Formats: sequence, structure tokens, C-alpha cells
Amino acid sequence: MVSENIVWQRTQRLVLSLPMQVSLLTGLCMIILWTLYFSSYPPVHDALHETRHHTLTVACH
Amino acid sequence: MKSIKYVLLTLIAIAVSGLIWLSKSFPVVSQSTVRLQTDPPLEQVIADDTTVKFQLQALDTDKQPLSMANIGVRIFTPTRNPWFTSDFPIVEGTELLNLEAITSEGNLEFEQVLPIRGKYGMKVAVSPLVEGAFEPFEQSLGWNVPENPVKYRNLAILAAILLGVGFAGGWIIGGEQTVRSDEIAPQPVRMLLSGMTIVAIAVLLFVNLSAEMASHHSEAGEVMSSTPSIVNERGMQVELSGDTQAVVGKLATQTVKVTNSSTGKPVTDVQVRVQSVALESDALMFAYQGIPDTTGKLIWSEQFFDGAPHKVTATVTPLESASRQFKPLQLSQEIEVEGIAPPLFVRFVSLSYFTLIFVVGLIAGFWRPRRRKIVPVTFNSLIANKV
Repeated sequence: MVSENIVWQRTQRLVLSLPMQVSLLTGLCMIILWTLYFSSYPPVHDALHETRHHTLTVACH
Repeated sequence: MKSIKYVLLTLIAIAVSGLIWLSKSFPVVSQSTVRLQTDPPLEQVIADDTTVKFQLQALDTDKQPLSMANIGVRIFTPTRNPWFTSDFPIVEGTELLNLEAITSEGNLEFEQVLPIRGKYGMKVAVSPLVEGAFEPFEQSLGWNVPENPVKYRNLAILAAILLGVGFAGGWIIGGEQTVRSDEIAPQPVRMLLSGMTIVAIAVLLFVNLSAEMASHHSEAGEVMSSTPSIVNERGMQVELSGDTQAVVGKLATQTVKVTNSSTGKPVTDVQVRVQSVALESDALMFAYQGIPDTTGKLIWSEQFFDGAPHKVTATVTPLESASRQFKPLQLSQEIEVEGIAPPLFVRFVSLSYFTLIFVVGLIAGFWRPRRRKIVPVTFNSLIANKV
């Protein structure tokens, strides 16, 4: 029980630490950007095809 | 007597050097050239939007039109640049068009959409239809297509959003993190939110990775042809054949063949208008009007740069001087165009640019509250000092 508590506390400290929160937020932003602008997942690609072609530095096909 | 000799020698020297100078500044033999005109002017062209009408005129040494000339045109797209990609990276550094035309007045007209911004190259080869009529020559031309202005606007909007979201994120993360007494279980809530973020990242990663694997497997990249479409009417047989399966980045060849259906001999006194239309947008991508060669064939190779179905149409009409007059014949065939996903490297480069903008916003937001914290202290101390 005690060790479980320690593990939970350590996890909390790690997850809520500043570097971890910054990386989580940046990671989420990157994966959302990838999905919207660079993913070849057909439903997303087809829905945003025009937007991709009309945004500088975004490659499409 | 001696002085006259020297004067004469000096005069000769001046005359010789003058002749050398003249021969250098004015070429003795002027060359045959090709004059290029476009409508609209090239600086007004919007990439992947404007259908540009190209007008080429082959001129002889006296700047007079060359008659009975064979003109070959090849257009090359701007070179590859993964660090600042266009929206069609597969099209970069490839051949867009290869067209051979038989001209009576040395002029060639065709329409073509230019897919991307940058410096295009054109190679024109002019040769006589009757051997020895004039010296065959080649000429390279080039022009620059500006970027579509909408793209700058959209990138600015995206950059503003990324900076804003980054700033807000930085503000919150860098803000006061101490737990106030009236807060109910703030840590588990924050843990839950972080957990949800991890799950969201994992789900999106899975979706994108599997989509990437799927698109990798389906790409064969083969240009293929199927059975030609044929129209047999009014004693004429028109055949449209060529690649019906095209790939972005590669040329696909199409052939129109006109023959007399009763004799089987090629027909040359007709005009053939060919055009290709992108079916998704119903936009004209390429058009050309010409006469078939001695074998009754009109051949051209074009790149279907948009990975979507296209329709190639050929219309055959008799020339005014033709012995046989008939109503125009038309036939068409659909071209399946396989799009190729942009290279991963190119996409990662652009993603890193966007992420960088976000991180800049994040850092700005992160430092903002720290500066604000100092302000009330100074303000309070100021009041305290006054009191």
C-alpha cells in the first residue's frame, strides 16, 4: 500500500513536472498539425485537400 | 617620308582594331530564334490556377517566320527543394510536357496549366519538314511563376493561431501552480487531463501510422495503357490510344490516329484538337490544335500532375482545303491518375517549421507571467513608500 502510494506520487511528480507538461502540449500540437496538414489518412486528406494546397510549405498530391 | 610611313602604319592599326571591335559587338551571322508569347503575361500567372496560352514563333535569320517547320517543345518544372516545398513535391524537377508539332507558318499554340511556383525551363527544337530548307536549331527558354498569394495569407493565419495557442499554453504552464485551499483535488484532475493528452497522442499516432503504411502498400507507380477508343463514322476512323493509367511525376503519352476507313490510308488534311480536363474541378489542364503527321498520327506526352481522374478528348475536323468535308468527329477517354504521397522528409521539415512557431509562442507565454509577478511587488512597495 505504502509502495503503491510512493509510485503514484512519483508518477504524479513526473507527469505534472514542467518539462513533461511542455512536452505533452507540444506533442499534442505536433500530432494535431500532422493529422490536419500532412497525414495521408484519406478522410482527413480529402476534407482538407484544398486547405493543404492553399497553405505555403504544405505538400500534397 | 618616314613620318608618312608611321602615320600610315598607325592608321592601319586603328582600322584593324576598329574592325575587330565591330566584329565583336555585332555578330556576323544572326541566328534563327524562337519567340515566346503568353496570355496572360507570365508574371500574372497563378500556379495551379491559370490556363496559360503559349504562342511560339520560329523566326529565321531575318526575323521572318519559318514556314514548313517541325517544332518540338519540352517543358520542365522547377527544381526540387525539400526545405521550401511546393504543394506538388513529386512534380518538382520533372518533365511537364513533350509535344511535337507540324507547322506551316512556324507558329505553335497550346494551353497548359503550370502546377507550381518557380523557374520553368522550355527546350524548343525546330527542324525543317523538307530536308535542307533551313538549318535545324534548338533554343532554351525559361520563366518564373510567382506563388499563389492566397498561400501566404493562409500561412500567416496558421502562424498566428499557432503563436496564440502556444502563448496561451505557455502562460498557463508557466503560471502560478500552487494549490489553493478551496480547490478540490486539483492534482488528480491535472493527472486526468495529462492522461487524456497521452491517449489522444497515441490514438492520432496509430491512425496516422496505419494510414501511412496503407498508402505505402498501394503505390505501384506504373504508367499503363488499355484498349484504345475508336470512332468509325462517315468513312473516317479516329483512334485515341495511349496511357489510361498515369502517375504524377511521369509523362503519359497519348496518340490520335486518323485513317480513311475504306482504304486504311492515313488522313493528313484534318485538324485535330486535343484537350485534357481534370474531372474533379472540371478545369482545362492542356489543349492543343494541330495537324497529324504523314502517318496520320498526332502524338503528345503530358504529365497529369493532379492525382485525380482526367478526361482526354480529341476532336477531328476537316481542313478548309481538304478534298473531303465531314462533320467534326469527337472521342474521349478517361485517364486514371495515381497520386503519390509527398516524401516523409518533406512533410517532417514543414512540420518542424510549424512546431517552431508554436514553441516560440509557448516560450513567449511562459516568460510573460514571471515578469508580471514583479510588477505588484514594486507597485505595493511604491504605495508603502508613499504612505
